[in-house]
Amino acid sequence: MMESLLDGSEIKQERPVSAALAEAPAEFAELYEAHSRAIYYLTLRFLSDPQKAEDATHDVFLKAFRKKDEFHGRSSWRTWLYRIAINHCINLRQSWHSRNIVSNVDAAVWDRAPAATDSPLRVLETKELGERIQKALDTLSGEYRLILLLVADEELSYDEVAALTHQTADAVRGKLHRARKAFAAAFQKSA
Amino acid sequence: MKHEARHKEQEQQQASGVQSQPNSPREFASAEEMLRFDAKQTEVPSGVARRLDDSIQALPPPARSWWRRLLGGSG
Repeated sequence: MMESLLDGSEIKQERPVSAALAEAPAEFAELYEAHSRAIYYLTLRFLSDPQKAEDATHDVFLKAFRKKDEFHGRSSWRTWLYRIAINHCINLRQSWHSRNIVSNVDAAVWDRAPAATDSPLRVLETKELGERIQKALDTLSGEYRLILLLVADEELSYDEVAALTHQTADAVRGKLHRARKAFAAAFQKSA
Repeated sequence: MKHEARHKEQEQQQASGVQSQPNSPREFASAEEMLRFDAKQTEVPSGVARRLDDSIQALPPPARSWWRRLLGGSG
């Protein structure tokens, strides 16, 4: 079985909905190969903890495997997996917040921050880029963080991001603008 | 439409030579572009696939429907 999961690496294209997935682990391996990086990246940057992201990615795909019969093709596999991942991460974060006081800087503060979203973000060393990105994301609210991460995935349209975050596409565009500004300001500070 | 715009953005980046080597100075036009770059550099730990495989193997087999049990059919 492990080989079947790992052997799916040759096929990375997303496939249309297939009823065969319900019975064939090899199909599930393809699903894992096609989407695990996106799911891991979302959980990593959203949860800000590599170990928790690893656990979350495992849990998301295990849940997907158990619930695969409930997938009816009304969305793409990617969107379906993202939905599971987002719910999982939000549940985790809520349980942390109930135990710890975690304060993100209020969005209004960043709205007043003098950061131009039109100017490019410069980095001298890409080696430490991940660390700086994480620091900047950690200052954003969960919603801004999520919107930025989802919009960054080129496989998702604004409508899909809107559906995943339970708002209109126009609302996503408006918040995206503020999220970019907040991120740029925080990223510049992280240098 | 969004995909087209994003495709153009990528073409422009390639044309302007933005696809530089890791650990060299570079610019990102937007936060999303930076996140995409970061995502491409981020590998899923190999342990996830192994753990997932173990977990899937440990799952109980799907329950047979009552009529299959009654008729003694398989599956």
